[in-house]
Amino acid sequence: MRRIMSSRTQNTKSRDALQNSRKARGRAPFLFLAPAIIVVFAVLIFPIIFSLFVSTYDWPLSQGAGARSFVGFGNYIALTKDPEFWNSLKLQLGFIFLAIPIELVVGFAAALLLNREFFGSRVVRSLLLLPVFFLPILSGMTWRFMLQPRYGPLNALIVRLGGPEISWLGNPIYAYIAIILQDIWRMWPFMFMLLYAGLTAIPQELMEAAEIDGAGFWRKLGSLTIPLLTPTILTAVLLRIIDALRVFSEVYVMTEGGPGSATMLFSLYTQRQAFGYQKVGMASAMAIFLLIISIVFALTLVRKNMSLDVLEEKAGA
Amino acid sequence: MMGTPRKRTRKIIVNSIIAIVAFLVLAIELYPIAITVLNGFRRDINILSGQPFQLKQLTLRSYQLVLKNAGFQLGMKNSIIIGILSTGISVLIGAMASYGIARFHFRGRNGLAYSFLVFRMLPQISLVISLYLMFSAVGLRDTIGGITLAHTSFNVPYVIWLLLPFFTAVDKAYEEAAMVDGCTRSGVFFKIFLPIVAPGLVVGAVFAFLNSWNEFMYALILTGVKAKTAPVAINGLLGGETLTWGQACAAGTIMLIPVFIFTLGMQKFLIRGITAGGVKG
Repeated sequence: MRRIMSSRTQNTKSRDALQNSRKARGRAPFLFLAPAIIVVFAVLIFPIIFSLFVSTYDWPLSQGAGARSFVGFGNYIALTKDPEFWNSLKLQLGFIFLAIPIELVVGFAAALLLNREFFGSRVVRSLLLLPVFFLPILSGMTWRFMLQPRYGPLNALIVRLGGPEISWLGNPIYAYIAIILQDIWRMWPFMFMLLYAGLTAIPQELMEAAEIDGAGFWRKLGSLTIPLLTPTILTAVLLRIIDALRVFSEVYVMTEGGPGSATMLFSLYTQRQAFGYQKVGMASAMAIFLLIISIVFALTLVRKNMSLDVLEEKAGA
Repeated sequence: MMGTPRKRTRKIIVNSIIAIVAFLVLAIELYPIAITVLNGFRRDINILSGQPFQLKQLTLRSYQLVLKNAGFQLGMKNSIIIGILSTGISVLIGAMASYGIARFHFRGRNGLAYSFLVFRMLPQISLVISLYLMFSAVGLRDTIGGITLAHTSFNVPYVIWLLLPFFTAVDKAYEEAAMVDGCTRSGVFFKIFLPIVAPGLVVGAVFAFLNSWNEFMYALILTGVKAKTAPVAINGLLGGETLTWGQACAAGTIMLIPVFIFTLGMQKFLIRGITAGGVKG
């Protein structure tokens, strides 16, 4: 700092340098951003535009681009008449509406429980996060194993408790429950992690003041903790929805969408359309549909958090 | 203060109960992971017969088999190469862009920054079909270059937002001083700024590597034989006529080693790492 001060007042040469740099500033941000913009254009924006283009064609994958024929909105209209499309949409929404609220409740309860120091509290808090970073395909594989009839540990437990032996992944309803169970197992610690961070950010004096005023656990929870945590909860839920909209690997490894199409979530059906039925045009129409929904949620999250301004304020303070 | 000792005993009891409950929850939560790791050290015969685990079952046979498996060997090699390449490219390009956003106020800055954030959240399935057609057209399908490029597509926007808080936290005075001394903007960036933010770059590199390491869908669709990654190879182990759980679990455990090392070593940055830009500050 001292060096700047002295050079600003004494050294005219460096004043020139400063002014030059201001002139050069017009181009500088572009030079720094250009590589990223080029990459984003090549592997994100162009593919999206290309998807839009493909989605207006009847485009059989196996016969190459030569066999395509223009159908306009034909693929989108065909989708609305495709029961499998509605099935995958229904399963996808069900997945989101069943898994995420449970993850939120479990994660919140755990955050409340673990928001204190006890013997081993740090160890518990950090090890709980391992499933979040567990490879998705390994999560799918692990649960496929857990749920096997005859030798799967979960079945063994159910049988020991006197229950029936269930062929989880062979039964449509149980398979659907199983993929949701897998997601809850892997992702409630994610909710826990964000909510715990939110809880520790609540000023302790607030809680103590409420205690002095005679507020009990539930009163504090309802009138202090939950209102103060609402922004964190919203962020966590939005992040999870965006993530759950694109779930693929875990379910692909667990069930490949089966039995039948009982666990054929949106991404799995899109993949099946493109590379199973070879209908690239139809698949692209589905891809665009999911893209629009995801962008809506992503924009909601971005608008809500406006992280850039927060960062600047923090840096300026 | 008559109540104090009694209060303290009560607190100890409550905390002990909570500790017991917490460790119980942790045990249940980690049980499936433990089972997977353990199965890697058992024979398929013992796994498939549903016998309870016994110490004398422990064997390295599955590891020997899977490490000799040509498909998995190639997958591991590819995963490491693709991970390092896409991480290097993403951190370099992402750091430059992040610097551009953190340090310059130009028109459309917010719009650009937020669109990077939105791009990070797009579903892969929406991009993979056109990437498949594009890569097929230009001969990038089933090549290391192609899948690296695909991984770069999610890692660049990710790194930009992961680095922003590290970058905005650096005082501008360092760079201004260097510019006064006649250093160019790029000189300032590479020689002054990057060394200051080295810890942030390490965090960015670790998480970018893990993103690539864990990725499955692009690898499944955009690679076939030559450029397939380890997750695709593991999926292959599960798809055969006979289920080779032992080998699949051994392979999975090998994949988990870097994940666990980095996760436990990066405690401080986990929230930033997993939400990069999605959460305030």
